[in-house]
Amino acid sequence: MIRSAFPRRPLLLGAAAAGLAGPGLAQGIEPAEAPRRAERWRDLKEAIFGDRRTEPAGNAIALEAPARALDAAAVPISLALAAEVVPQVRALYLVIDENPSPLAARFQAGPSGDLRVLSTRVRVDAYSFVHAVAETADGRLLETARFVKAAGGCSAPVGGNLEAARQRMGRMRMALPEGPPAAGRAVPVQVALSHPNTSGLQMDQLTRLSIPAEFMRELVVTYRGAEVLRIESDIAIAENPTFGFALLGEPGGELRVVAADNRERRFEGSWTLASAG
Amino acid sequence: MPAFGRRALMAGCGAALLAPPPVSGGDTGVVEVAPGVFVLPGVMEEASSANLDGIGNVGFVVGEAAVAVIDPGGSLAHGQRLRQAVSAVTPLPVRHLVLSHVHPDHVMGGTAFADLGVEVIGHAGLPAALAQRHDFYAAMLEREMGSAGKGSGALAPTRLVEPGQELALDLGGRVLVLTAHPPAHTDHDLSALDRRTGTLWLADLLFVERIPSLDGSLPGWRGVLAALGAVPAARAVPGHGPAAVPWPGAAGPLLRYLDMLERETRAAIAAGIGIAEAPSHVANAEAAQWRLAEAYHGRNVTAAYRELEWE
Repeated sequence: MIRSAFPRRPLLLGAAAAGLAGPGLAQGIEPAEAPRRAERWRDLKEAIFGDRRTEPAGNAIALEAPARALDAAAVPISLALAAEVVPQVRALYLVIDENPSPLAARFQAGPSGDLRVLSTRVRVDAYSFVHAVAETADGRLLETARFVKAAGGCSAPVGGNLEAARQRMGRMRMALPEGPPAAGRAVPVQVALSHPNTSGLQMDQLTRLSIPAEFMRELVVTYRGAEVLRIESDIAIAENPTFGFALLGEPGGELRVVAADNRERRFEGSWTLASAG
Repeated sequence: MPAFGRRALMAGCGAALLAPPPVSGGDTGVVEVAPGVFVLPGVMEEASSANLDGIGNVGFVVGEAAVAVIDPGGSLAHGQRLRQAVSAVTPLPVRHLVLSHVHPDHVMGGTAFADLGVEVIGHAGLPAALAQRHDFYAAMLEREMGSAGKGSGALAPTRLVEPGQELALDLGGRVLVLTAHPPAHTDHDLSALDRRTGTLWLADLLFVERIPSLDGSLPGWRGVLAALGAVPAARAVPGHGPAAVPWPGAAGPLLRYLDMLERETRAAIAAGIGIAEAPSHVANAEAAQWRLAEAYHGRNVTAAYRELEWE
């Protein structure tokens, strides 16, 4: 199951490499760049969705991303679906066009969940479009985009103290900013896994260092034994992968998170969501 | 050279804290902050083709036998300017290149010294940081500086200092003591103490006037500054700010900013404010006291948030 994640990734990496070789890398949003960016997105769509057509999402998806990233290592992204499409959307793809590995995450709604709100933090390597594509139960693909300017200064996609993440690897956090779920009311939940989530390096030319790749591939959330959300992801997700989603259901159940990384390490956390009062 | 005019202006601002420092080395722009200790002051701007990424304070220490360069500058051109300043001041050879940390404004001028075959010294954590960031910084310099950034690059360390350890560099009649710190400004900060003149070269462990950038550990940085406060030194060389400032007094504003950043970020996390919204809630009145706050404060809040949410 874990191995089947992102079956087209080699192809995506190829597409990314071709884009990086282009002369116009990271030139901002000058009009001259527009055709290259459009072509890149066409290539990425073909790599991810084959010959399936996408259509503009219009008001169906609200994608929020900062116009200028504060920190290249953790750019907050959030998505909200319009109420009328919530029942239809079963999967959602998040793509950062100019990243070395553009497909950041695929979110799949479980039988007892939906994708009405999602949030995460991603690495943004360059000036890039961030695309979200919602897949409906009847096979439509709804796309939307935001342009993110990369962070400047000393900021870099790999954060400043990965050792701290590694030392507590596997520790999980869960937060309920608005309290436990209540009957008929979806509440926001945030879960996070301490993990360096790095692509690693094969023999860096300058330092001759090799750093092994360590990244989270899958995270599954269940509540009261039923799957709520399944996330497939890779190195575009920031260190200490953090995800927000909505949870529906009666209070008092057990929320369970199971994650796995590329080295087949398994991480688990569970919390009983007390009934209010 | 337009960058020079601006730099002179900035040096003038900084000088308000101390008596006007003597300038030597001809028109190279270096300031001799203590006998044999030279600083090429950076401008308080973001990197650009006009300032050649000469935005951080870099410089060198001259012994009786050799010279140690502390940070080779932010670009090839900036590094070349520093190398010319060394030549203008002394005929002695550069034997050591000390890298204070990975940030581009401090290391990307390394290529200006590549042909000298010098010993390159860094914190034990520096090679990993360079491996993970060097290519990204090179691309960023090209984006920010265009062709003015061409040929810039860091030199790989040939000698490492383990955290908590010291390394004494004998420059002939003068010993420079290098200390590798636990995570603070970055996770691999190296400082240098010139005991002869009581000059503590802190690089980006100390910011003055220009807003600090947090890229290591917020509580860690406060702890390192507290420990450094006990070092007997008359002056410190900050990574950004005047060429030299009184020590430890000049750390006051930085400690105040870091303290407020930590307290208000903790409060935002406790109040359930998300990472995207936190920058507009945290320490904005304090940040407004600093230059370039608009470019770095929000990022500092994000970095603080990502660290403190795991406490």
